[in-house]
Amino acid sequence: MKIIMKFGGTSLNSADKVRNVSRIVKDHSQNNQITIVASALSGVTNLLEKLSKQSKHNSKKIIANELEKFTKLHTNISKDSIKDQKIKEEVLKNILSIINELKSVLEGVYAIGEITPRSRDKILSFGERLTVIIVTGALKDIGISAEPFTGAKAGIVTDEKYGEANPLMSITKMRISEILQPLLSKGIIPVVTGFMAATQTGDITTLGRGGSDFTATILGAALSVDEVWICTDVNGMMTTDPKIISDARTISQLSYSEALEMTVFGAKALHPRAIEPAQENKIPVRIKNTLDLTGSDTLISNDQSIIKGEIAKSVALIKDVAMVNIGGAGMVGKPGIAAKVFETFAKEEINILMISQSVSEANISLVIHKHNLENAVNTLELSLLSRGFANRINAEDDVCVIAIVGAGMKGSQGVAARVFKAVADKRINVRMIAQGSSELNISIVVKEKSCEKAVMAIHKEFDMGKS
Amino acid sequence: MRLILIGYGVVAQSLTKILTVRKQEILKRHKMHPRVVAIVDRGGLALNPKGLDLEKVEATKKKYGSVAAIPEYGSPGKTAQDIIENLDAEVVIEATPTNLNSGEPGMSHMEEALKSGKNVVTVNKGPLALALPALSEMATYNDVHLRFGGTVGGGTPILDFGKKCLSFDKLIAIEGILNGSTNYMLTEMEQHGTTFEEALSEAQDKGYAEADPSLDVDGLDAAAKLVIMANWFTDKEVTLKDISIKGIRDIKPENLKEASERGFAIKLIGRIDEELKVGPAELRKSDPLCIGGTLNAVKFQSEFAGDEIIIGKGAGGPETASAILRDLLDIREKM
Repeated sequence: MKIIMKFGGTSLNSADKVRNVSRIVKDHSQNNQITIVASALSGVTNLLEKLSKQSKHNSKKIIANELEKFTKLHTNISKDSIKDQKIKEEVLKNILSIINELKSVLEGVYAIGEITPRSRDKILSFGERLTVIIVTGALKDIGISAEPFTGAKAGIVTDEKYGEANPLMSITKMRISEILQPLLSKGIIPVVTGFMAATQTGDITTLGRGGSDFTATILGAALSVDEVWICTDVNGMMTTDPKIISDARTISQLSYSEALEMTVFGAKALHPRAIEPAQENKIPVRIKNTLDLTGSDTLISNDQSIIKGEIAKSVALIKDVAMVNIGGAGMVGKPGIAAKVFETFAKEEINILMISQSVSEANISLVIHKHNLENAVNTLELSLLSRGFANRINAEDDVCVIAIVGAGMKGSQGVAARVFKAVADKRINVRMIAQGSSELNISIVVKEKSCEKAVMAIHKEFDMGKS
Repeated sequence: MRLILIGYGVVAQSLTKILTVRKQEILKRHKMHPRVVAIVDRGGLALNPKGLDLEKVEATKKKYGSVAAIPEYGSPGKTAQDIIENLDAEVVIEATPTNLNSGEPGMSHMEEALKSGKNVVTVNKGPLALALPALSEMATYNDVHLRFGGTVGGGTPILDFGKKCLSFDKLIAIEGILNGSTNYMLTEMEQHGTTFEEALSEAQDKGYAEADPSLDVDGLDAAAKLVIMANWFTDKEVTLKDISIKGIRDIKPENLKEASERGFAIKLIGRIDEELKVGPAELRKSDPLCIGGTLNAVKFQSEFAGDEIIIGKGAGGPETASAILRDLLDIREKM
């Protein structure tokens, strides 16, 4: 089989874990062609982000201090995970030279006193550059031939949207297969930085937070692999947050569209943008636990088949949201009110998570992120109240959204009724409901104080727990 | 419109000839004033940002074998890489020889041109056969045009014709005789009973086939054209490795004779339907597609319009140069 294995920062942040990862790769390398994608060690990208901001106005001394901690973190893991003296020295030498490069970039930004999106991306990419050196060293240490690559060197070409770049997929696919396929055929394992890529002219870009998953599926599509494994710290995607319900269970199979709904609603195991290259090229993606590789996992694939009787697959709780109600008799029969609302929000770059409007048109309800609330209410008041479009705008910030996802809901009757009944039986009031015409998900809004009870009730109603 | 000309062989020389002879007409009728600001050949570079004197360039090439020998404007030893990125021009015309292994040097020339925001007109099939989806994406991303009308059918506007045939119609299949040299050989073998080897050396004598004939007789040239057509006419993103290819080396005069007696001719046919295939196949002699000599012919089968066929010369300097001019005009209109 041809496999991409992506290891997140939590799978690599100690010498033991690095050794564990290299053993896993060794075990699988006998009969498979493996390409590895590695993230930065946990916390490292946040640290780099902080450094990039600080270097604007802080002194060289702070940069030096932070870099010392940074160097220690990476060199310690290398020292403890690699036994062979020669390999160890080589790895340490490379790490120091990369950190030196980082130092001069940071000092450059400090000297100019300004950080551009382009230099920010360059700084953020250093975490991954260091982990691939460590992982490659650890693999060589146990006799596996491996070669480190930056995403750019591996052939990922993106547009110039720094911070959240998009791959130019045809060029990328061609380059990657030209560069990496010959190595795979020779039995060499490419170790590629997640998250970072470059423009057509070679300037470094990043693919946004969670971009390593994206790197993995881009490589998967380009190399036409059999499976992409996202190795993380949980056993796949769960029916709900196990912190709320101990009965939560791993979902064994999801379609791409179901997985997309779930990731948008906060399932952290996979980044939503990573689904597109996989879906487009029909590459199956498996979410696995690095520390329990043979345990239960989730397979995301083109398989649309619905298990009989399985209606909803997961129920997610989205906190830190707020509901805005816009009402008034002036809105009835007046076209363009909704457009007005969207336009106002778009201008302020406020994302709308949910929307519903009654047939009477006298009321529109919206759900947005809580941190946008004051701004949202204020701009709505300015654009709607003053012109007589609406006469009341109120907000509730003690609510949360519960999203129920599953392709089995499509065409099955009474799903909404069951949701309502389950919640009503617990004496919980549903404030708002929305269902897309795709019927892949139903979202409801309830008061925050009863949200966990509601999630439990729905989880139980649809038999999502362990059987 | 400022042009950079990379490669100065038969086709490119025909182009500069037409540009010189028809200068007034191009300006008057087409409102286009093409100025060739640089020409690169194997010997080096001729460059004049105001536009080169093409008659002098032609004379220099004839006399000294390279445009770089031109006084004042010539720089022997310079290559395309030295100028494509930084010289101001609207269009790069890529006319270096086809290389179906790496696509080079044309591939790098085209990438450099697109990246630096220049339109590209090419008559070089190599880079397209190996990377057309990537090159198209690069053109779109950099908001420039990539045109290659001369790569299929020489001067015969097969790509334009087909696009018209298929607009608003559903494509069922495209099939055609895409390589003039092999068609000449097969015609000879059928009519005169000559062997493959005899027909090949005859084609080489007449200048229809290259010294290294493998591009033609092994079906690679036809396959490269099929790649270009598949990307142009369908939403398939394919390259040479996606085509199943068989040449004509195994065809014996007896096979042709036997087929002929049944009313069929054996032709090297490229076909696009669910699959992409190049190989010898029988055509009924009454089929309008069944043409002889060095001609090319392509049939477009669509749901409503039915069969439409275009036949014409598949190669030649002035013919292919005319395709470049059409592409330039097309780009000019879109600018």
